[in-house]
Amino acid sequence: MAASVTVIGRTTRVRGRLSGDGDIQVEGQVIGEIVTTGNVTIDAHGIVGANVRGRRLIVRGAVQGDLLGDEAVVLENGARVVGDVRAPRVAIAHGALMRGEVQTGDDAPAAPLVRAQSATRAAVAPAARATPAPATKAIAPPPVKVAPATSTNVTARPALSTAGGSSASPRRPPPPVVPVLKKTKGQILKKKER
Amino acid sequence: MASTVIGAGIIIEGEITTDEDVVVVGVVRGKVSAKEAVTIQQGATVEADVTGGSLTVAGTLTGNITSTDRVDLQAGARVVGNVKAARVTIADGAQFKGNVDMDL
Repeated sequence: MAASVTVIGRTTRVRGRLSGDGDIQVEGQVIGEIVTTGNVTIDAHGIVGANVRGRRLIVRGAVQGDLLGDEAVVLENGARVVGDVRAPRVAIAHGALMRGEVQTGDDAPAAPLVRAQSATRAAVAPAARATPAPATKAIAPPPVKVAPATSTNVTARPALSTAGGSSASPRRPPPPVVPVLKKTKGQILKKKER
Repeated sequence: MASTVIGAGIIIEGEITTDEDVVVVGVVRGKVSAKEAVTIQQGATVEADVTGGSLTVAGTLTGNITSTDRVDLQAGARVVGNVKAARVTIADGAQFKGNVDMDL
């Protein structure tokens, strides 16, 4: 009964990948991908630093990574999410904070599942982040000098392409860091004004 | 009581660090560092070096064990690795291959 539920306790820190078919409750820290066919609950104290995939995801804590729910994703009060959210049903409660793309509907999680499963066994978050890189690389070689084709692959997921650029493909320039550019522009303008 | 449980059907590939009790019923590959009791239940598979307080093994463990307290290998346990602890018990029916260091 209790055995089928996995609990990552408050003072526990997991650095690596969690996968399987049971329910997972995160009260501590997980730096690595979570993939399960069961439900995933990320408690108010829970922190997850990579993609999470499960049947029903309930978030009250912090997640930096994409959330993929086969059934639903619920961001409850206190949730802090930086990453994309995809599920047939997505709920964001009052008091939940998130930054990223939301996609509801049945066809949403299909593509990312393949990516998650074909992922290299990444023990650490940055490597886990880089998982889509092989896919884009596989597509990239035929049109060697066609930059737009590869960039269209990237546009949807800026966070992921950052990791991909740093880890492997030398051909693609690193994605623009927009906030920094804006800041410097603003500072320059201010200086000029003064 | 255990605050951290690795349930059946769950595979962790990586490192677990904790200040609380750990119960493993599923699979852990990598490393386990705990300060309190670690229990590896029957049916569990751990391929990792395990550090902890008192350590109870009833499942399969491949890796070295370092305990600040005691290590109990129960009947049905299957352990390959070295054990370093103040006290070690190996129950009748436990399979074990490795060195025992009880620092006398």
